[in-house]
Amino acid sequence: MLTEIQEGRALNSVVKHITQEKINLYAEASGDFNPIHLDESFAATTPLGGTIAHGMLNLAYVSEMMTSAFGRSWLSEGKLRAKFKEPARPGDTLTINGKIDCVEQKDDVSYANCSFECLNQKGETTVTGETIIKLSSDKE
Amino acid sequence: MPVKTISYGELIPGYEFPPATYELSASLVSKYLKAVDSAGDGFVPPLAITACAIAAMTGSFSLPSGTIVIHASQELEFFKLVPIGATIECHIGVAQKITRGKMSILILEFEVLDKGKEKVQSGRATIALPT
Repeated sequence: MLTEIQEGRALNSVVKHITQEKINLYAEASGDFNPIHLDESFAATTPLGGTIAHGMLNLAYVSEMMTSAFGRSWLSEGKLRAKFKEPARPGDTLTINGKIDCVEQKDDVSYANCSFECLNQKGETTVTGETIIKLSSDKE
Repeated sequence: MPVKTISYGELIPGYEFPPATYELSASLVSKYLKAVDSAGDGFVPPLAITACAIAAMTGSFSLPSGTIVIHASQELEFFKLVPIGATIECHIGVAQKITRGKMSILILEFEVLDKGKEKVQSGRATIALPT
């Protein structure tokens, strides 16, 4: 976990390699069996040209980065807003980067506002977004 | 999983799907952690709960064969940690349905409650369906 919460501070990046096997495992775990994720011959006929990872698999990696930085503050009272820009595909290596944009005080409670992005190995952005984490209350 | 009782064409803003219930068993959590390549920390990962809600949402309506569903954006808010073994209930509704050219966009809102009816998580998913 971060010991100091400072504006501009980068969060520890998370790097993940996407494989069809991981996508299949995620489908099993989540119950999302949409053929665009699983059926390679069907996916090849669509405008996407092949299978893609579930958007929520990308966000699971974002959550891993946030948990590593903020622990239970993230898990129990976090907020997230994400836009999926490009699909992540089998064979891609995703790097999830994040930073603390600002720390705000509202009603005696501190909040860290962070931004994040997921990049593939070509440097293309697959997901962008923001998170808000409740840090502490001065009354606690 | 909820039964697919409604077609995409019948979905209208304000429609609420029948609630979907999930038991967040140790095996389900373990399967999820393996899939996302994570060690876990003794609680149900909030994104595992979201995954249940998303699956409930997309599994709640039927689409014409060959239609692809693209997850365009996601908003989430977590309210409390959930222990492994807990049962959750997902409430899902249609917030908006928009058609833009050859793209149909559906905005779904969900709320996840625990057994004591306390809010665990809420969110909003935008899904796009090229037609």
